[in-house]
Amino acid sequence: MTDFVTVLWKEWKEIVMERSAGSTGSYRPLIAIAVFGIFFPFRMGPERFFSVVGLLPPTFFGAIVITAVIADSFAGERERHTLETLLASRLSDRSILFGKIAACMAYGWVISIASILIGGITVNAVNWHGQISIFHDAASWLLLLLGPPLVGCAIAAAGVLVSLHSTTVRQAQQTLSVAFMVVVVGAIFASGALPADWKAWFARILFTWSEADLVLGAAGVFLIIDLVLLAAGMARFQRARLVLD
Amino acid sequence: MAELAIRAQGLTRTFETVRALDDLNIEVPAGSVFGFLGPNGAGKTTTIRLLLGLIEPTSGSAQVLGFDTRSQGAEIRARTGALLEHSGLYERLSAEDNLRFYGRVAHMPKAELDQRIQELLTHLGLWDRRKEAVVKWSRGMKQKLAIARPLLHRPGLVFLDEPTAGLDPVAAASLRDDLAALAARQGATIFLTTHNMAEAEKLCSLVAVIRQGKLLAVGSPADLRSRGGGQRTEITGRGFSDAMLAMLNQQPGVSQALLENGRLVLVLKEGEGVAPFISLIVREGGEVQEVRSGQGSLEDVFLTLMEEEK
Repeated sequence: MTDFVTVLWKEWKEIVMERSAGSTGSYRPLIAIAVFGIFFPFRMGPERFFSVVGLLPPTFFGAIVITAVIADSFAGERERHTLETLLASRLSDRSILFGKIAACMAYGWVISIASILIGGITVNAVNWHGQISIFHDAASWLLLLLGPPLVGCAIAAAGVLVSLHSTTVRQAQQTLSVAFMVVVVGAIFASGALPADWKAWFARILFTWSEADLVLGAAGVFLIIDLVLLAAGMARFQRARLVLD
Repeated sequence: MAELAIRAQGLTRTFETVRALDDLNIEVPAGSVFGFLGPNGAGKTTTIRLLLGLIEPTSGSAQVLGFDTRSQGAEIRARTGALLEHSGLYERLSAEDNLRFYGRVAHMPKAELDQRIQELLTHLGLWDRRKEAVVKWSRGMKQKLAIARPLLHRPGLVFLDEPTAGLDPVAAASLRDDLAALAARQGATIFLTTHNMAEAEKLCSLVAVIRQGKLLAVGSPADLRSRGGGQRTEITGRGFSDAMLAMLNQQPGVSQALLENGRLVLVLKEGEGVAPFISLIVREGGEVQEVRSGQGSLEDVFLTLMEEEK
């Protein structure tokens, strides 16, 4: 556990230093927080913002942010020739792997929560009626609690696999971005091409389950995806293999 | 018999068809500075990776600080420090954070870590700039910090892979002095790979020469100098032609004849006198003005070994 925290500390410092280094990339999170925390909430109003639908954009944006930092954490460590020194230390493979993943997830989570918090303030300020509005249904709170870690973990674990096969940070980031687009666009097209009885089955779920049940169901699916991707990441992140890469 | 920090028996590593290390047998006494010399691609880095348990040998075995490299790599890595081919520094982080990270990795208590960071950075003249991101530093400063890193937790054994590579002569000399002082103060075993013979001569109590994965010689620098024929003769004069060099290189008593800055250099085999070769040179039309004889340097021995194995 101590080693995990040590790696997390180092990774967090590196992410913060990289993101505050004054490059154009360092301003992107602030721009995004402004978009998801001010512009969208301003347009949405309190009813839509304090709902499951209102929470989806910042949740997924937090996950997208992870693609950039996870590539830098894994492919970057190799590109900057620091990986072998890290592997020559007493740290176990798992503490390195999970410390890095946790730091990247924490960064995505901070971006999501910052967007949601600023969004809440914006909505309340614009629509002030003497009372503070907050999320009022179980589904929203469940999504707020489970969404960023579960979606973030899936992206981070996929990022590990892609980064370990990439020679540069740029290559890893590009591959991850393309893969993300392919999954999203592919899911939209695939949903249209599903057999009629499958569509009916999905429609029945969508219209008969409560929002909270839907969130829990989606969380279950993401949990399975997370576990499969993490197991694949652990199998790939092996010291001897990484040294020879 | 002295306690051994490293013992390798028949250590061999093959990468597909390439034999990177071939039947290496070495013993490194605890507390010594061991120089592992060889040209690029000789197998030095592979040896360090094997000794750290980062990769497994194809055959043979090695014990480092009493632990088997094949099955106890984690124990070895916990008790050693390593500066590998690259500095391994996180350039976005400050010098202090770089050392703090590796100190935490080594489970050093905070108070001891703070004190050790101050001690090392002060000794290396880096303390005043400890809060700066390392990316802003010169190569020499980075390399000093890179050497401080593996020494931080006072390991019993430190691997240094070409620590002065790429530095200018002044920075390299300064770094060598720092390294010698730190090693002496700490009393650790140092396994140093280099192709800088002056560095090996200055720092090492024991030296091994490796080429294409094969160990060619082991001994103290003085041993190797005497074993390599030892006698180096520099002849100043005129008329030293390529034909004369070729003729001298064919003489059974000559290990090597070459021209260096206009001077004819003869490295003679053990027990050979220089007089017959002077006569030969004069007979072949050479004009001899001055002859200086002395023991060959480690570099001469190294070059001779490389030539012999070709």
